Amino acid sequence: MKKYKLSFVTASVYALLLLMIGSWASIIIGEKASLSLLFTEKNLFYASKFFKGLLGINEESPAYLNAENWKNALDLTIETLVMSVMATGFATIAALLTVVPAARNVADGSLTLAKKWHGWLSFGVVRGGYIFSRAVPELVWAMIIIFIFKPGILPGAIALALHNFGILGKLFAEVIEDLDSRPVRNLSSSGAGRFQLFLYGVLPAALPRFLTYILYRWEVIMRTTIVVGFVGAGGLGQQFKLSMSFFHYTDITLLLFFYLLLVFAADYISEKARIFIK
Amino acid sequence: MDKRWLNFELHKRKILTLILLLAFMLSLFFVEWHSNLIHSGGFITAKQIAAAFFTPDLSGDILLLALESSWTTLSYAAAGMSLVIIIAFFFGIFASGILVSEGKIKRYIRPLFRGQLGIMRAIHELVWAWLFVASIGLSSFAAIFALAIPYGGILGRIFADMLEDIPREPIKALEAAGASKIQALWYGYLPMVRASITSYAMYRFECAIRSSAIMSFVGIGGLGYQIQLSLDDLHYDEVWTFVFFLIALVLIIDLWSNQLRKRLVQ
Repeated sequence: MKKYKLSFVTASVYALLLLMIGSWASIIIGEKASLSLLFTEKNLFYASKFFKGLLGINEESPAYLNAENWKNALDLTIETLVMSVMATGFATIAALLTVVPAARNVADGSLTLAKKWHGWLSFGVVRGGYIFSRAVPELVWAMIIIFIFKPGILPGAIALALHNFGILGKLFAEVIEDLDSRPVRNLSSSGAGRFQLFLYGVLPAALPRFLTYILYRWEVIMRTTIVVGFVGAGGLGQQFKLSMSFFHYTDITLLLFFYLLLVFAADYISEKARIFIK
Repeated sequence: MDKRWLNFELHKRKILTLILLLAFMLSLFFVEWHSNLIHSGGFITAKQIAAAFFTPDLSGDILLLALESSWTTLSYAAAGMSLVIIIAFFFGIFASGILVSEGKIKRYIRPLFRGQLGIMRAIHELVWAWLFVASIGLSSFAAIFALAIPYGGILGRIFADMLEDIPREPIKALEAAGASKIQALWYGYLPMVRASITSYAMYRFECAIRSSAIMSFVGIGGLGYQIQLSLDDLHYDEVWTFVFFLIALVLIIDLWSNQLRKRLVQ
């Protein structure tokens, strides 16, 4: 047994090394990418031009000196913030509604003392849904959703929620699996219904960790809002893409500034909130 | 007065839940809810997309293309991760401040590297990619660097946290026996964090595959690029084929890392 364990880990390490070497080989040989081509004079010229553009050197009216632009960026920042909160809300609601059958100890009946014939069936269906929803990146969800909804913050929020629904669902289900089952079994043997079990047995015990995960995902969603904006889902990302296309590089500086502000604010708030509930 | 009101712990939890709920409700007011939200043909499109889910395009050409782009996606993720590990290793060690003794230098070095890691991971990999493409042009290296910077930031920070959180006693024993800082790192710190950092790195590898798939958005080939092309051609059945390949790729890495984690933690 010991030998097998060692060999699997060693084999994995070798396989990973091989995969990395193979990848570099296929990128450098197959696609003829070369690092020396990257640092030609032409590239240096473009790079310095781009960074000068970002800083607004030789520009008549850099965007960050214009009050109008600041107001616009501020509006977009609020829009982005709203989008992230909405996405987190949608994902949380959907995950909470589906999480009970997705827990292993509910499916085999050890938590609720009631084994149902459809226990493992609904477990499989919900877990499969989670895997599907989190395996597809937010941006791909956004590309698909934008075909159905008009551009704005709603499709962005839905796309973000679709991806995070699977992640939150999996994390929530693991929390329920790790719960102390005695209080819930006690409730169940005194005749509580399914809804009552969830409300009075599971939720009070699992709520702190649910909240931690929600806040953690909110941080990640905040970082990703800009990306779903690229395909037209509103917020800072949409403006970022437009400014890139129009070569308004000073705009980019302003937008990146607000983006970083949002990300750091989200990190700070969620950290403080987590300490608050401890 | 009822003593239950003084039950503080429950109280705080409820306050936070209420605040979060309120924030969510408020956010809903920002959207003007009317039927204009959906394209005029939106419902029909939604139906077509849903129908195509059950009839993915499984013709030979598409499968071959999907396999090829899966390899592209995987290879970018793996190449990026190899840089990520190098970045995370060095930055993590400096950000944890275990190589320098207590004192003035540590007070500067730790926050400096931690701040650096913070900035690296604050910006999403696609934004990095865009900045790289705008400055050095379309290149495979742009994608790899763009992936490596934020992932290095995350992994480096986790590595630094792990190094700081390990029990001090074995290290003190090593130092008492006359080990230098480097020896303490090599024989004390690293063996203790090996299992947890490996399993976390595997998890990041899974995320890197998703990220490298969407890197295509700035013009680098791979599954995301094909998904986008098929979507632009309105070939929804092809879209789902590529999406299924992406899911399979992510699942394989997920299973692998689960097996590896199980054996490492034992």
